[in-house]
Amino acid sequence: MNKYTDVLIIGAGLSGLMAAAKAAEQGKEVMLVAKGMGAVGLSSGCIDLWGYNLEDPNQVCQDPLAEIARLCAVNPQHPYARVRDVLEESLLFFRRVCQENGNPYLDHRGGNWLLPTALGTLRPTYLAPASMAVGDLQQVRGVLVVGFRELKDFYPDVLAANLKKSGVLQADCPLNTLMVCAGGGELTPNTLAYRLENPAVVDRIVDQIKPHLLPGAVLLLPPVLGERWDSQVAKNLAEKLGHPVYEVTNIPPALPGQRLQQMLLHHVKGQGVEVVIGCTVNGARVADKRCTEVLATGAGKPIKISAKTVILATGSFLGGGLESKPGKAWESIFGLPVETGHEKWSARDFLSMAGHLFNQMGIKVNEHLRPVDKTGEVIIENVMVTGANLAGCNHPIEKCGNGVAVASGYKAGKLAGEVGE
Amino acid sequence: MSSDHRLALDNCIKCSICVSHCPVARVTDKFAGPKQNGPDLERFRLEEPAAVHPSIGYCTNCKGCDVVCPSGVAVSAMNCRARGEYVSMHGAPLRDKILARVDRMGKAARLAPSLVNRLAGLRPLRLLAEKMLGISAAMTMPRYAQKTFLELYKPQNVGDTGRKVLYYPGCYVNYNAPEVGLALAEVLAHNNIRVEVEQFDCCGLPLIANGLLDTARDQAKKNLAKLQGYINRGYDIVTTCPSCHLTLRQEYRELFQLNTDPLHEKMLDVFEYLSVLLQQGKLVTRFEELPLQVGYHQPCHLKAAGCGVPSREILQLIPGLRVADLDAGCCGLAGTYGFKKEKYAISQAIGSNVFNAVKELGVRQVISECGMCQLQIHHLTGVAVYHPLQVLAQACGHGKWLAK
Repeated sequence: MNKYTDVLIIGAGLSGLMAAAKAAEQGKEVMLVAKGMGAVGLSSGCIDLWGYNLEDPNQVCQDPLAEIARLCAVNPQHPYARVRDVLEESLLFFRRVCQENGNPYLDHRGGNWLLPTALGTLRPTYLAPASMAVGDLQQVRGVLVVGFRELKDFYPDVLAANLKKSGVLQADCPLNTLMVCAGGGELTPNTLAYRLENPAVVDRIVDQIKPHLLPGAVLLLPPVLGERWDSQVAKNLAEKLGHPVYEVTNIPPALPGQRLQQMLLHHVKGQGVEVVIGCTVNGARVADKRCTEVLATGAGKPIKISAKTVILATGSFLGGGLESKPGKAWESIFGLPVETGHEKWSARDFLSMAGHLFNQMGIKVNEHLRPVDKTGEVIIENVMVTGANLAGCNHPIEKCGNGVAVASGYKAGKLAGEVGE
Repeated sequence: MSSDHRLALDNCIKCSICVSHCPVARVTDKFAGPKQNGPDLERFRLEEPAAVHPSIGYCTNCKGCDVVCPSGVAVSAMNCRARGEYVSMHGAPLRDKILARVDRMGKAARLAPSLVNRLAGLRPLRLLAEKMLGISAAMTMPRYAQKTFLELYKPQNVGDTGRKVLYYPGCYVNYNAPEVGLALAEVLAHNNIRVEVEQFDCCGLPLIANGLLDTARDQAKKNLAKLQGYINRGYDIVTTCPSCHLTLRQEYRELFQLNTDPLHEKMLDVFEYLSVLLQQGKLVTRFEELPLQVGYHQPCHLKAAGCGVPSREILQLIPGLRVADLDAGCCGLAGTYGFKKEKYAISQAIGSNVFNAVKELGVRQVISECGMCQLQIHHLTGVAVYHPLQVLAQACGHGKWLAK
């Protein structure tokens, strides 16, 4: 089986979906293949740009865009240095797509939001879906943390105790917890979210919450308020209670990341992109520094795909884009080089503030996102690399994973759109 | 435990993507989910086969878990084997043994198709069947055709292109929807290709889905031997049913360790076959204008084949035709699943997304490759549902199924 397309994107994560949306918008024929669902569905659903100060990693960064500009000056190897020219444009594009699909993403006056997590810690992020965008907690006159009896992995008392300790609330701010029942059983976040799409269930929740509401209180709930990206559950709940309601971030599987993924998939399909999930690309033919076709299999059947541009959005080690054995790492489809250095790949502590070296490993690219060798020479001219595959960022501690994905995916899609006939 | 098996299990990183995309776990807590029933319990089953959770009976075998898994774990195969183990220990209800033999039901119905269709619509009889057997009285039964496809099909005299094509129709086309097989013959005749047919066994999917693996394995071996014979004689094999296709090509290998490698090259969905002709410049692309908009529903088992939507490229060539993707996920019927009394409500809840998408798009006609999806979409929405081949045959000047 042979397939032909203008732009082939490998990977269904955030950078792949952004690349698909941008290339399709420019009228290109786009195909997106992925061996499974991308990791954006496992993410918090927020878009982190840059979390902490460069000089003082204990301080939350107040102006991520300015901080990234400084970062590019001190660390020109960081992926942001390759996409800085389109960074703001890419964020506008992302927000426009979200807005048009009824899933608006909000910024916090150009700074970082400080959003509560299920553990009651506060995490900085740049863009948050409306259902998660809790304003300044310093200002609130009361907090009610609501959990569901059916749901594991969310304990209101833990959230409340740590939130109190964080000192973000005013000293006299009442902080209460409540467990409500959504019909019984032991549910996954998805099953609970499905149940909450039923207005009668929401009404029963409202009845349980109302007696515990203090004037001016803000409600914090686990991220299960609605299945789809355009769900109205959080909004309806807030209206019925007459109080603001927010979802906090929680461990996967959480709905906000899934909603973002489903929305972007739905959007690109609507743009005419052919999306094939469950199709694994395992190799490629390259001649004269050009990829002539990639070799894939779907349920065992070989498929050859030829494209003018190939965008490699395969997601580092977790997504299978990079592979390794002791002392050696490489890119899995084209065999592109991955520098490993001579230091230890991981730090002794799992949660080391210095991060793990393996997270920084990846493919070196030039300003057009083309893979380059040690001397800066382009290795394959019609291949671009995006997202977690890019060398030089340590996203778990820098809080920049989704930001790099949005900007690099957008840039690759834009450049692919400019490739002539 | 073999090292391969151990590796397959270790590939599961417990990310829960399969759980979050499982259409059954989404709407009910009766199913413990693909991860728990699959890779989690499989580790125990390798030492102790009794480690099967009774909730395994609620898996629809849609294979969404296989599709979304980013680590290449064959989750659905583990679930299928688990169900087989559960059934071999506890037995299957009579109802499941009946429903799993769609071929036998088809043969029996041939004696008096009209009578069977009439009885299937009689409410008191359906209520009795629900009470006695557990077959839902609410679900629409598939209608049996007056004559089977194999009875109706007459090889046509066409010019010789040297192409040898064998058609594997599957039970649904043969007993219920022979017009799809006839549409295939017309479309290929339009391209001067003659279709050969042959009596095959049921692919075995309904047996697999009901945990009756031994019978399915016997049928698999017979089918594979026959297909291999045709491949040896230079035939391409075409299919129109995505579920038969996936079962022959993937399940025979994953569940029964049979060698299906030759099928990967030589067995094609009919639209894949037509795409190959198109790429070789051999497809006759004279099509009548069809000025209409139809919704498209991608069956789960076509998704699981990992090759996209084969009809997409070809249908784009028909002037005037607009195909809108419903993009609504699983329809919920899953072959015999939605006919079971205790599962009917789950099946309908899963399918509500399809209902909403049809309403949102405002389409009055839908196309989908799977006969069971067609039945469910009609049952859910009342709109007419066809196989994409019927659209293509109509554009080739045969048949008048779709209303303009």
